[in-house]
Amino acid sequence: MAQTDTKPRPLPKPTPATQAFWDGAKKGKLMLQWDPTAKKYQFWPRANSVRTGKRNLQWKPTSGKGELYSFTVTHVPTPGFEARAPYVIGMIELDEGVRIIANLVNIEIDEVEIGMRMKVAWEKLSDDITYFAFEPDKRAKSKPKK
Amino acid sequence: MAKSFLADKDICIVAYGETKIERRGGRSAYEIAAEVAEQLYKKTKLGPSDIDGVTFTVPISECSNPFWSGYATEYLGISAKWLQTSDIGGASAIGNVTRAAMAIKSGLCETAMILGVDAPSTQWRAYYGSYRNEFWDPVGVQGPPGAFGLLMNRYEHQYGLDFRGLGALAVAQRNGAIKNPNAYEKLRHKITIDDYINSRQVSSPLRLLDSVMWADGGNGLVMMKTSRARKLGLTNRIYPISYAEISNFDCANQTPDITATGHSVVGPKVLRDAKMKAKDIDMFHPYDDFLFAVMLKTEQCGFAKKGQGSQFLRDTDLGPKGDLPINTGGGQISCGQPGLAGGGINLVEAVRQLMGEGKGRQVPNARNAMVTGIGVIPYGRNWGSANAMVLVN
Repeated sequence: MAQTDTKPRPLPKPTPATQAFWDGAKKGKLMLQWDPTAKKYQFWPRANSVRTGKRNLQWKPTSGKGELYSFTVTHVPTPGFEARAPYVIGMIELDEGVRIIANLVNIEIDEVEIGMRMKVAWEKLSDDITYFAFEPDKRAKSKPKK
Repeated sequence: MAKSFLADKDICIVAYGETKIERRGGRSAYEIAAEVAEQLYKKTKLGPSDIDGVTFTVPISECSNPFWSGYATEYLGISAKWLQTSDIGGASAIGNVTRAAMAIKSGLCETAMILGVDAPSTQWRAYYGSYRNEFWDPVGVQGPPGAFGLLMNRYEHQYGLDFRGLGALAVAQRNGAIKNPNAYEKLRHKITIDDYINSRQVSSPLRLLDSVMWADGGNGLVMMKTSRARKLGLTNRIYPISYAEISNFDCANQTPDITATGHSVVGPKVLRDAKMKAKDIDMFHPYDDFLFAVMLKTEQCGFAKKGQGSQFLRDTDLGPKGDLPINTGGGQISCGQPGLAGGGINLVEAVRQLMGEGKGRQVPNARNAMVTGIGVIPYGRNWGSANAMVLVN
């Protein structure tokens, strides 16, 4: 699926509401927004609680662990991903109770299974941006829940 | 239960218009609008000075213009008392029928034109913001096909998925496009279930033939009070009788069952409001960005049992003379998707059939139709806006 006219992988441009996420990522910490009223996490980062509308969210580091809720093998790459195709994109349900869509790395396509335990991995994209991905958590026992 | 404000049939559709679908045709959405409007004038014997309300779907090809509806109506020569551009994507077509009915009923305007015109294969001007720049594009998700790959895989995990059922739907819709002169010409050839199964993977398990193709085109309707249509001698009248819409279903839930969509709410509601059961529906014209969306809606709108949509599609005759005719003109998947005007493909085909103008693909004695819309692909879910409408003749 090689294309001659390729663009680089897009880099996030942090905003005031998301900066803490990227600051954490740079240090290898997956940060999530905690809603102190609802006592629940939410993802993706934004300025308000989706439950109460309040702008009182707090940032907390997380385990970076969860299980694979679904995945898709991308055969037609988007800009910057030509060299990786085909590549796996997973939706991971973190133990903190949110879902996150990410590249799956360090795994063969035919080993990917819904329900498998995953942990965060990091890819340095630039001096400012370290991007999250997920890989199998080999030390965990997979027990797909219903 | 409150009665649907449409139940009395005092607002009607009196004409439909539709261009042929083309790829990179070079015409702007304005030029396409002119063709649709001319068709509508011919059928109604009205002109620009008779139209006093217009509602649009925001076109991808013109969405950088914050004054689209003003520019477009000026282009058409329409002096309007009521304008609205809706941005609920493929849900805008039936959404706008309802919005126009509200405007007419409340006296804001008398004669409304409902237009969907777009040329994204000629000019792409969309920009999204929100989570896209930071949490979606850098991941390499293949847009809507990527989101549907995740959705289909999860569904298959929970319920199992017979891909030959999706193939049967692909074939049925393609047969409709072959009989539809407005379909994109290059798609008007036969396909088989094996062609579907063997088509290349885009974002697995989603295949090429699961998907729409961006194209250019337009469609539209004219609506007015039934009493006015009678006075004008417009005798072929179609009535929307029930409508429901929901955007961001189950939004605050951070771990929803992604196979549950807003159609599980709006499908049953429009049937209840129309005092019908799914078995009373003569034909189904669901918004079809992907075959799987149609399949899920057969379940959630009450035609198939939960988890058995693909078996239902495999075992049901979906053709115009079949048990449940679906997207008899080919739908968007086999006509081409004229950008965000795509929702009008399904709607206009339903109106055409209800007017008895289905030509080689007419559903015999069609008395009613259910039409659905889908708009927006949200983060890690199914679809953002879901709506449904029942129409009768």
